[in-house]
Amino acid sequence: MTTQAALLRETLETTLAADDTFPRRFYELLFAAHPEVSSLFTRHSPGAQRKMFAQKLVAIVDHIDSPEWLDRELGAMARSHVSYGVTSPMYGWVGDALIETLREACGASWSEAADQAWREAYASLAAAMQR
Amino acid sequence: MSGESETYEPLPWERPTAASLAQPHIVLAWSLDEPDRVGECIAVDGPRALGRGAALADDPAPRATPQRMRPGHNQPMPPIGNARIGRIQLLLAPVGSERISVTSLGRALVRINGAPLEQAAIARAGDVIEIHNAATYLVTLRPKRLPALRNGAFPDFEFGGADPFGMIGESEAAWRLRDALQLASTTDRHVLLLGDSGTGKELAARAIHGLSGRRDRSLVCRNAATLPEGIVDAELFGNMRGYPSSGMPERPGLFGEADGGTLFLDEIGELSERMQAHLLRVLDAGGEYQRLGESKPRRSSFRLIAATNRASDALKHDLLARFTHRVELPTLSERRDDLALPVAAQLRRIASAHPALANRFFERRTGQVAEPRLAPHVIARLLRHELQHNVRELERLLWLAIGSAPADYIGLTPALEAELDDAEQAVAQPAPEIDRLTLLRALSEHDRSPTRMAQALGLKNRYVLIRLLKKHGLSASEPNPGGDA
Repeated sequence: MTTQAALLRETLETTLAADDTFPRRFYELLFAAHPEVSSLFTRHSPGAQRKMFAQKLVAIVDHIDSPEWLDRELGAMARSHVSYGVTSPMYGWVGDALIETLREACGASWSEAADQAWREAYASLAAAMQR
Repeated sequence: MSGESETYEPLPWERPTAASLAQPHIVLAWSLDEPDRVGECIAVDGPRALGRGAALADDPAPRATPQRMRPGHNQPMPPIGNARIGRIQLLLAPVGSERISVTSLGRALVRINGAPLEQAAIARAGDVIEIHNAATYLVTLRPKRLPALRNGAFPDFEFGGADPFGMIGESEAAWRLRDALQLASTTDRHVLLLGDSGTGKELAARAIHGLSGRRDRSLVCRNAATLPEGIVDAELFGNMRGYPSSGMPERPGLFGEADGGTLFLDEIGELSERMQAHLLRVLDAGGEYQRLGESKPRRSSFRLIAATNRASDALKHDLLARFTHRVELPTLSERRDDLALPVAAQLRRIASAHPALANRFFERRTGQVAEPRLAPHVIARLLRHELQHNVRELERLLWLAIGSAPADYIGLTPALEAELDDAEQAVAQPAPEIDRLTLLRALSEHDRSPTRMAQALGLKNRYVLIRLLKKHGLSASEPNPGGDA
């Protein structure tokens, strides 16, 4: 396991332990910064949306060392996201809200290295989805 | 000395039985995100690590694999994907042949019979293991495989759903019942179903009829307790026109109606001894009977399925002797592994019949009604409740929970709780007790690092520490607002 993957897992597990309602916080931060995207999240009830977000996020981090899995899953997610009306700038907004959620939940244990690991990982995942 | 015994092949009647092969399992009794996985089973046949996602290099034991058990066949399933479950959450290991040790290794809070598990505990069949807000398991004993059905395949149906006859259940007892019904269906002999109220006697009768060669003919269902006093004979055997009084139309009677098909007579124990005696002749091989007022006997080729919730000694012994098959229907308490399945089925029915309730209590996925917002505690408590009236009581309790729900989820309301037994059963376990002052000192000494603090305080891992901090209103992430850190 790479150091980056270890950092991602460590911070995600800390987040989940500290706050098992972190998906709620993620959407709060996202909608506060960009109220216009909330209209894209009406296909599922908020509870189902939060579960799907948490499940996908942990599955991606669980499989961060498996390029075949990521290719397959991100490809499918990319297609569905286009059909939802997701545009390129929105990927950046989601990334910012996600990293802010993790940072808040990890508190003192959040580090510069963790911040960088998440930004790099998120950028490459978002790029793969927009390919 | 052992040379002979090693090669000894047991004779058929010496082979181990399903009962003798039973070993500890945990059955998924509720999954917050994936209620369609309820009923899947994990064999604790050696140390097993249970957690989210695939195996890890540092797993303390091979991964537990959920299985969908069907007679003679187990289908392996992926682990449940809930984010609240740690990557390694539980370590399970058999203790003797009937108990398991449960060790909590992950970050999620684990409860056994409602009491928080701090380190490890021994659980036995009937105990309930909850992974907080994620999954609820019931410890049970069953063979590693359900024995194959004696009469070949049962009509296919979705795992955990209702079979084509409406019966729900994936437990060993549920499949033993289907096997007995299928066996009874093939012989064309009269069947007596013995079971308490709400154990599904009419569904069992429908199954026997539906599996039999008579399935294309009629199934006549009647409750013997509702036959009008005084004309029970006419109801059963029919009467000629104008008998006993001039205005009376000709009636075929239940035996005449069921000719070629099946007659299901519920609550047969409610018939008087005299009426029971009237049944003896028609139940003999020829199915011979007389309509009231007629002198010539008729014959009906029917099969009787009778049911009673009384002990079989409520029936006359010569009537009892005419039932070749007696099938006992297990109560829901005798097959607790199945308890959540009728809950899920009932909730689905409620959602489709009552859109307002569906809107209030169910999530929606792509616009469709999806999983219910059901607090897992409700299932955990139902699993430890002794149901007196089986499915009927379960339905009543569910409606009570819905009727008393204060918000948009189905939870353990005071009204529901008042009806349930047994709040908490202690399971022996050592609990770490560390006072607030020690925790505050450790926070400052170890720079608020949960991992280092946990090590210094001798705790199993940082998650135990995080829970302890929460219990004392503290947190590793931010300095305490009171400033006493």
